[in-house]
Amino acid sequence: MNRRGVRGLLLVGLSLAVGTVARAHHSQSEFDLDAKVEVQGTVTKLEWKSPHGRLYVDVKNDKGETVSWNFELPSPNTLMRRGWKRDSLKAGDAVIVTGAPARNFPTIAIATAIKDGNGNALFTGTTPVLEPAPIQGEP
Amino acid sequence: MSTSSRWWCGALVAIALAANPVSALAQWLDYKAPGVPRTASGAPDLGAPTPRTPDGKPDFSGMWFANVPAKDYCKEAGCIQEERMAREQINLGIKLEGGLPYTDWSREQMVARRANGGREDPHTYCKPPNFPRAWTLPQYIKIVQTPSLMVLLHEFNAAYREVFLDGRPLPEDPNPTWNGYSTAHWDGDTLVIETNGIRDDMWLDIQGSPVTESARVTERLTRVNYGLMSIEIAVDDPKAYTRPWSVTIEMAAQVDTTMLEEICLDDEQDVELFR
Repeated sequence: MNRRGVRGLLLVGLSLAVGTVARAHHSQSEFDLDAKVEVQGTVTKLEWKSPHGRLYVDVKNDKGETVSWNFELPSPNTLMRRGWKRDSLKAGDAVIVTGAPARNFPTIAIATAIKDGNGNALFTGTTPVLEPAPIQGEP
Repeated sequence: MSTSSRWWCGALVAIALAANPVSALAQWLDYKAPGVPRTASGAPDLGAPTPRTPDGKPDFSGMWFANVPAKDYCKEAGCIQEERMAREQINLGIKLEGGLPYTDWSREQMVARRANGGREDPHTYCKPPNFPRAWTLPQYIKIVQTPSLMVLLHEFNAAYREVFLDGRPLPEDPNPTWNGYSTAHWDGDTLVIETNGIRDDMWLDIQGSPVTESARVTERLTRVNYGLMSIEIAVDDPKAYTRPWSVTIEMAAQVDTTMLEEICLDDEQDVELFR
């Protein structure tokens, strides 16, 4: 990740995010997509497996206890098409992760945005899929 | 979306990709494949004429993804995009007036499955990417075409499907399978695929539209130009639908990239979240 480039983005007041993800595999009804969680912590592991990558983050709660969060990501093939690599995030990296929480599990969520420890946005939600040319005669 | 929003979206994508460079050695994600028509700048010429095989038939070979324009998914300035997903993935009959013509039984099934949040969806449990639903899933499909056999490879579970063009008839008493049994013939430049022998427990979409062993599925594939394929999917299933119906979807050619496997059972964790 080019940190200088990311800082440049912030200078013009833009925010990038992973976007709502993971519809590849299920309906997402296990997540409350109208709710939002945001945690700040330290990456312990980027799990590079299908059908979903997972980002594990250690977070200090109000009592000072360390809680491990499990954030669902798109599948690695989708992530790779978005420019991620399996070591894009490493253990020890400081992150701020936003997501929609699982309905019945307090420390599991589907990630919608990931920032570094300074609040600089990381990655985008865009899959650069080729779009065909319009059919001749169509607007 | 406004013109300025589109501009911002494009600019953000370009900036973000520059900030996340993909190594030229990372698989073949950006390998410029030979044989792809290109413009003077070297970009794929997706409006080029339909490629043809030596015997003059349209050649469907290549990689395909549901034609889902990005602009449909940019809802605000800053372009925080959702996963590209064909609307038909949720409801295959979404463009049909009145929706799919469910029988009472199949409507009851669909309504119950939908109310249940899709927690019984075979796809959630990593079952195979069954056609015709597989066309709408957000993984890439590779078609390998020969004069007597078309093979469709699907990234999800590294699955395959065979379509025979060698004149064989459909089986008369088939053992039901996830992709059934498919033969094809040409109708001018359209490849007509006929399928029977699919299973009762497959879903056609996320909302749970049923399909049964009595179904006969016809897919009419037309490669409109280099970059675009149109597929008319017709389903005749008297157990699940009051009349035959058809929908048309589009697939976009994906070039200078490669198949990336997605083995669902590698680390499936969402089923547990439904409990």
